[in-house]
Amino acid sequence: MTILIWIIQLLLVPALSPLFIGIIRKIKAKLQNRRGASICQPYRDLRKLFNKDEVISEDASWIFRFSPFIIFAITLVVGASIPLFTGLISNPLSDFLVIIYLLAFSTFFLALAGMDAGSAFGGFGSSREMTVAALTEGGLLFSLLTLAIAAKSMNLFSISQKIASLPSSSLFPVGLAFVGFLIAFLAEAGRFPFDNPATHLELTMIHEAMILEYSGKRLALIEWAAANKFLIFAGLAANLFFPWGLTGQVTLPHIALALLLFTGKILVLSLGVAILESSIAKFRFFRLPDLLFVSFILSVIAIGLII
Amino acid sequence: MIKIIEKFVPAGVRIEEYGNIYAYEMKVDDIVSAVNHLYFIEKLPLKLITAMDERKESGSFRVMYIFGIPKENLFIAPYIRLKGSEEFPSVVKTIHEASGYERKIKTFFGLDPVGHPNPRPVILHGNWPKDVFPLRKDFDWRSRPAEAKNDYAFTKVEGEGIYEIPVGPVHAGIIEPGHFRFSVAGEEIVLLEPKLGYKHRGVEKLFEILPLKEKLKLSERVSGDSSFSHSLAFCQAVEALGGVEVSAEAANLRLIYAELERLANHLGDIGAIMIDTGFSFGGSHGARLREMVMRLNERLTGSRYLRGVNAIGGVTKDISPEAKDSLLKDLEALEKDFSEVMAIAENSNSLFNRLKETGTLNYQIALDHGTVGVAGRAVGILNDARLDYPYAAYPDYDLEIASETKGDVYSRFYVRVKEVYSSIKLIEQALQKNHEGKILNDKKIELKKNSLAVGIVEGWRGDIVYFVATDAQGEITRVEPRDPSFLNWTVLGHAGKGNVVPDFPLINKSFNLSYSGNDL
Repeated sequence: MTILIWIIQLLLVPALSPLFIGIIRKIKAKLQNRRGASICQPYRDLRKLFNKDEVISEDASWIFRFSPFIIFAITLVVGASIPLFTGLISNPLSDFLVIIYLLAFSTFFLALAGMDAGSAFGGFGSSREMTVAALTEGGLLFSLLTLAIAAKSMNLFSISQKIASLPSSSLFPVGLAFVGFLIAFLAEAGRFPFDNPATHLELTMIHEAMILEYSGKRLALIEWAAANKFLIFAGLAANLFFPWGLTGQVTLPHIALALLLFTGKILVLSLGVAILESSIAKFRFFRLPDLLFVSFILSVIAIGLII
Repeated sequence: MIKIIEKFVPAGVRIEEYGNIYAYEMKVDDIVSAVNHLYFIEKLPLKLITAMDERKESGSFRVMYIFGIPKENLFIAPYIRLKGSEEFPSVVKTIHEASGYERKIKTFFGLDPVGHPNPRPVILHGNWPKDVFPLRKDFDWRSRPAEAKNDYAFTKVEGEGIYEIPVGPVHAGIIEPGHFRFSVAGEEIVLLEPKLGYKHRGVEKLFEILPLKEKLKLSERVSGDSSFSHSLAFCQAVEALGGVEVSAEAANLRLIYAELERLANHLGDIGAIMIDTGFSFGGSHGARLREMVMRLNERLTGSRYLRGVNAIGGVTKDISPEAKDSLLKDLEALEKDFSEVMAIAENSNSLFNRLKETGTLNYQIALDHGTVGVAGRAVGILNDARLDYPYAAYPDYDLEIASETKGDVYSRFYVRVKEVYSSIKLIEQALQKNHEGKILNDKKIELKKNSLAVGIVEGWRGDIVYFVATDAQGEITRVEPRDPSFLNWTVLGHAGKGNVVPDFPLINKSFNLSYSGNDL
């Protein structure tokens, strides 16, 4: 039975991540009075891309060729090491610092790959991504540190358990940390108001500019990894800040219920992201640091309150 | 009529009268001061500088400087003849907006503007030989010159941390092709230089070759989104040449169609500006409202872009009384719909934060470059051909000029919003008026011989000018369409300077200039 849990844990993120991207797109379409593509469209896009030939620039080095695999693999490992539906299977990687810096490592390779092919846009995207990533790190780290201090543990699974039984006096700082985390989540996942995942304007892109030179299978991997990253952050938001509904028992009905609850929580988050993206405009690039500082300051205040 | 003209013309000059244009020959040495006088002392708007190859008839090239006389619907055109010379004095040192016209004359006629500080070729690229001039009469339009390899020097910015980004002509989205060369310091734009010409199709040459009916079709295709305005300007010029009367009913219908075209494009642009800030709600509703007008167009005329509607002597499509009633109802619903969308958009701080103070165009720079239309009115240059050169049925209705003062994206956005409301009002008023008379004057068209005419129409971007000339047989020998984009492209770089690169697509969209109208 534990093997089953391990398999589910490993496959859950890559299996579900395209679905939530499709759901966000669908909700956004509905909010714009459009019919929108099916929520399964991202799966079809991946299949299409995997069946395509790819073009690789003559100037590209091994970094360009290997980065998609590194990035995708990191999201797989991270996806398997965070609390999703069960609190049972912690592993040595489930340390919050390890998780954050593994993801930063994948961002690093993405930025390198963006510059590697030598196109003007890739360089632009990488420079912007690193600017945003450097400023996001503070908020991300400190918001999770609040939880770690509250739970007196660096392990994500035990944080998740402790937060569920925290006294109500600690709820306010945890709430502040949640807002700080949410802002960092939007920046890391390349969503509004930081980046527009649907834009066709090459000059405004961040994430899309870095991957502009990719095609075919490698593009599919990168797109998939980006979807995984979204689900990882959504999963962390859902299970660290609202850690109710993780199953402690290894029976099929319990697992099914926990999976259902997990999907429900992510759906609520996706709805929030879709509504946000439909109701505001993207921020000017130079206003983004302000927002990221807010995330950082909120997290620092939360830490101050919890100590 | 002649009285009005005489006050602008130096004494002792013989004035030639052609319909709505009064031309007079000046000595080559005197032309610069004469043009400066009209521009600076009389403050007449320069509408076009064009050249004609008349070496067969008179052994000379002719360069004409066409000025408009606002409110009178008249044009005044001093000109020079170049006999045995391929040089003419440049007026660019004092009149900056003449630059593009003179460069174009150099590129297409091979006449050298002496004293022009920057006479690089326009429109034609490095693969076109330097000594082949396509608008000269001895150039056969079917010939294909050998490919050349000329250089085109972009302005270089030097300094620490400056780098160049080449963008286009192929873009990530489906838009017209154009190349932009950015010199940036980090994200800030230090210099932006557009290079166009990728959609050059030889329109001016084709205008000389095609039969009259086809010329009309060609004018509809100069810039697809302005099909009606372009063909209307062409028709008006030809009607002036042929002395063709247009009935009051046809004039009224022309106003309705022209305003429908403006309405569709403004709604589309308002949505597109919002979508370029990422405000997808406004974007999708802008696209939806534009589509509603396009379908109205199709219902009324069978063409979404109002093609085949204009004819020399009137229009081909009437609007029945029942269609008028339902159009009135549709417009009322559209206005309500639009104001609801705008009410939601105006509640969005994040949207207006992006629009305000982005892409600000300086008033003096705009003035010096001859900026017209929406972009001009957004900095407070009050030009509107509907008021300045009243045509069709515009004199019958009141129209308030839509203007803003700041010259940023927000101003250009709001000029459009105001014009949406004024267009709807104009159409509603026009629909309630009924005139007797045929909508198309089917008198046989005979054009005046050795004559000139100008047609001017306020398209949705700005004024569209058509210059048409005939020869001794009454055949059209020269047509120059001047799209507002030809002037407004020159200020885009100035509006972009100092902004960050990710704001450029938004600035570009707020101008939404035509590539094909510029490239011809």
